[in-house]
Amino acid sequence: MSWFSSLNTVVIDFDQSHLFFPRIILTLIAVLGLVIVVTNARPVLRAIRSGRYQFFVKNADFFRLIATLALIPGYFWMMDFIGSVLPNMGLGFLLASIPFVFLMSMLYCHEKTRRNVTIIVANALLAPTFVWVVLYHFFLVSMP
Amino acid sequence: MKTLMTTAKVALLAGSVAAAPAIAFAADNPIRGNIRIVIGSKSTGGDTYQASSIIAEALADKIDANIKVDAVGFSAGYQALARVPSGNTLMIFHDQAYLGHLYKQKGYEDPFKQWQIGPSFATNPGNGYLVPKNSPYKNMDEILNAAGNGQTIRVAIQPGGVSEIGYTAMKNAVRLAYPGQEDNLVALNTGSQSDKNQAMFDGLADVINGSVQANEQYTRLPADDQKAMNFVWLTAKSSTLQGANPEGMGQTSRDELLQYASGLGVKVPMDAENDFTFDKEFFFLYNKRMSPEVVAFLDKALADVFADGKVQETLKKSFFIPNFRTSAEAQKHFQAKRDSYAKIIENLHK
Amino acid sequence: MEFLELLSPAFFLLAAAGSIIGIIFGAIPGMTATMAVAVCLPLTYTLGLQEGLALLLGLYVGGISGGLVPAVLLNIPGTPSSITTTFDGYPMAQRGEAERALKTCIVASLFGGFFSAVILFFFAPVLADFAIKFSYVEKFLMIFFAMSVIASLSKNILMGVFSGLIGVLLSLIGTYDVSNGGNGEYRLMMPFMEDYLAYGFSLLPVLIGLFGISTIIEEAEKGVTETSHENKVNLSKGKPFSFSIFKGQFGNLLRSSSIGTFIGMLPGIGGSAASILAYTQQKNLSKQPEKLGKGEPEGLVASESANNGLTGGALIPLLSLGIPGDSTTAVLIGAFTLQGLQVGPLFIGENIDTWYSMITGLMFANIIMFIVMFYAIRYIAKVVLIPKFVLYPIIVMMCAVGAYAINYGIMFDVWTLLIFGVAGWIFTKIGIEIAPLVIGFILGSAAEVYFVKSLESYGEYSILVTKSPIAMVLWGLIILSIVLSVMIHKKSKKQAQQESAS
Repeated sequence: MSWFSSLNTVVIDFDQSHLFFPRIILTLIAVLGLVIVVTNARPVLRAIRSGRYQFFVKNADFFRLIATLALIPGYFWMMDFIGSVLPNMGLGFLLASIPFVFLMSMLYCHEKTRRNVTIIVANALLAPTFVWVVLYHFFLVSMP
Repeated sequence: MKTLMTTAKVALLAGSVAAAPAIAFAADNPIRGNIRIVIGSKSTGGDTYQASSIIAEALADKIDANIKVDAVGFSAGYQALARVPSGNTLMIFHDQAYLGHLYKQKGYEDPFKQWQIGPSFATNPGNGYLVPKNSPYKNMDEILNAAGNGQTIRVAIQPGGVSEIGYTAMKNAVRLAYPGQEDNLVALNTGSQSDKNQAMFDGLADVINGSVQANEQYTRLPADDQKAMNFVWLTAKSSTLQGANPEGMGQTSRDELLQYASGLGVKVPMDAENDFTFDKEFFFLYNKRMSPEVVAFLDKALADVFADGKVQETLKKSFFIPNFRTSAEAQKHFQAKRDSYAKIIENLHK
Repeated sequence: MEFLELLSPAFFLLAAAGSIIGIIFGAIPGMTATMAVAVCLPLTYTLGLQEGLALLLGLYVGGISGGLVPAVLLNIPGTPSSITTTFDGYPMAQRGEAERALKTCIVASLFGGFFSAVILFFFAPVLADFAIKFSYVEKFLMIFFAMSVIASLSKNILMGVFSGLIGVLLSLIGTYDVSNGGNGEYRLMMPFMEDYLAYGFSLLPVLIGLFGISTIIEEAEKGVTETSHENKVNLSKGKPFSFSIFKGQFGNLLRSSSIGTFIGMLPGIGGSAASILAYTQQKNLSKQPEKLGKGEPEGLVASESANNGLTGGALIPLLSLGIPGDSTTAVLIGAFTLQGLQVGPLFIGENIDTWYSMITGLMFANIIMFIVMFYAIRYIAKVVLIPKFVLYPIIVMMCAVGAYAINYGIMFDVWTLLIFGVAGWIFTKIGIEIAPLVIGFILGSAAEVYFVKSLESYGEYSILVTKSPIAMVLWGLIILSIVLSVMIHKKSKKQAQQESAS
């Protein structure tokens, strides 16, 4: 039974213990990834070549997609920037949210009728202000 | 781009000045707007948050400002502190700030280089060590002697700071009395108090790190209860513990606690002359660029708070020992404290 | 009955107010029960002990329950533990059965909440003594057991397990946290990440990024076409709610509530495991497992009764060991310390009046939660009628607020939203499954700690099996759970083949 006890024994050096589990997971991922590639590579490649697989959906709206992908980081960045100039008053959130909500609503709105635009403007002004007053001032939730 | 940014900054500042009358602050307060205190712990149930809330409330009353305590943890706290030199963001931490650096923990820089040390205001005297009630060891002497005579003693701690310093001291004590035998004390590295208790229940640890606040009730359980424990050591100075209310904590009086205190009931030597003690003290950390004017203002505000005497009662009620030092005094005190612990940590790593 | 004197009208008022505020916090994507309790904690300073506790318990119950609303209506788990509610709730809402789904969830929540409060009241000390029999090994096995849901949840077992492992890997980024017993060293990090990822990615921003932000990106790609007209029809078209849904679900209710209570009781496992585990078991034992995940009320019953079962469960170790059972009770402990009250093994005996009033508050908060939600739900369900161009910016804004506030003001958590929003959008396109990935992420770091600590302390692999009878039983359950889910996969494959053949 000595082979068993030698296989069974495990010594984990505390100083290196942060690597023990990640190594196991990485090994499993590599093995499984290999299996997936081997079993699925051909059908997947065929699908891509024949054009049956497309990364983007059919008739993708690239304008709205790219604008969204620019608007959200822009919003987060503004929030942080304003918050560092005017710290600890929640103004980073308030002053960045109003233009963001307005722009994103305008971006997503298909029928810019007078009624819709009025809703958008009112919403862009009121929603962030309401959140700021209630959460920041009343509940003391941290805001940038 | 740069001019655009500057313009934006100026415009924002102008706006904030216009809005300034809406924000309450005392006339002589050099800090404009709200104050955020970040703390070095992520827990709102822990002692750092509790002590910080008490002092923040008293300070807010004194200087008539809005102060909010945020439990962001040390790493995010340092980042927040580094960004705002105006005094709008302050930090409260404890001895971990330099112990983390001494134990070479990731993310800890030398606080004396990186920050200004602000005033200290409270001590938590509760840090201690416990054994199971049915343990063969009844006190610290027996533990140290057993380790010196070749017995392996496993001590459950959270590595790299306040929880480890007492363990380091025990090791140092064994080294002094029985040179070469100190490795018989073995650290069992665990995390939360729950994990440390569990290590004792599972029989994985002979001694665990704990605190008066968290473990006092366990010491009053009947001996046949699996969960029953006894204190063997409280690391605080006995003079510090003397400052607590006579009722002590829970059903354990101050006098009963004192028998486990360093220098009275327990002797853990630090070197030939001195006993080892460790008081966990809370203090402010400031941004290096914060102006002397703000430092002086906060020193004075806190001195006034302590002169009023009310905050001491609140602190004592929660088993903290009031302990006010101005920033200059604190700077000197903590530097000396750090140096003495650096010595024993180095001695053991040789 | 001296405690009755402690129960002022203010006590009930605060419990009710807490419950309602909690529901609102829970219902806002990005805000959680934990946050609700944390922001109201300073308020309890000025209140007395009983009143303060009433408020916080209300917040706890309300916050945990409120999470079901966005889970069903928007496919965003309002709190991490309502993740499994999205699996069946959102498909139902899409079919126009939003109200039916919500009401099913609420009834299940009430049952779970009551069940756990009763267990708490009668068995707290006994169960606490049982809970400390779970050492590293048993806790690891519990987590592993919960992870076995990945096998039954995934569309393709191979890809599902792969996705789950990616989730685990993502949860390991950062330090091996000393406060969990790690050594504080970085792994899976590059130097530029150290400032931001020292604590790794936070759970909630990852969740709402993967579910909320990625949905919005997907919609943007499709051009954000309004379907509100069709939805209006849908809302009245769907099957109405009736209590007959619960026919034959009693076993499910009882099992899921017990699982919730039990997981809540074990410190360190994390509340989200409760609903995940209950959902797995329901799927394995169901007569129609292939339907779960496509909009079956029984999935909702399992998920929601378990996640409210958590409330009473997590209070057990808090009140009888002084150790919080989940993240919300960890904040709750602050209320006791701020009032100068110790929690520990002698708490109940020494504070019998407080104990009784807490149970009363807990029960009362559950009742209020039920009444408010059950009758307000008709209006809440109308959220789906708000045009997307108004709703989406607000969702992004609220997610940002929640992410920023979850760790008391950390900007990187907001960026995490974006990172995982984009990642989630890409993942679905390349075949990585989101649900298993999220479950891997939720359970990953606890799995690591208990796995590594088990081996570190005992020094042999076999301890994972031989540690105790509990461990062996758990292995039995894990194997059973995996075998069942493989069988279910085979069965549904066969069915699909037969259908395509005919």
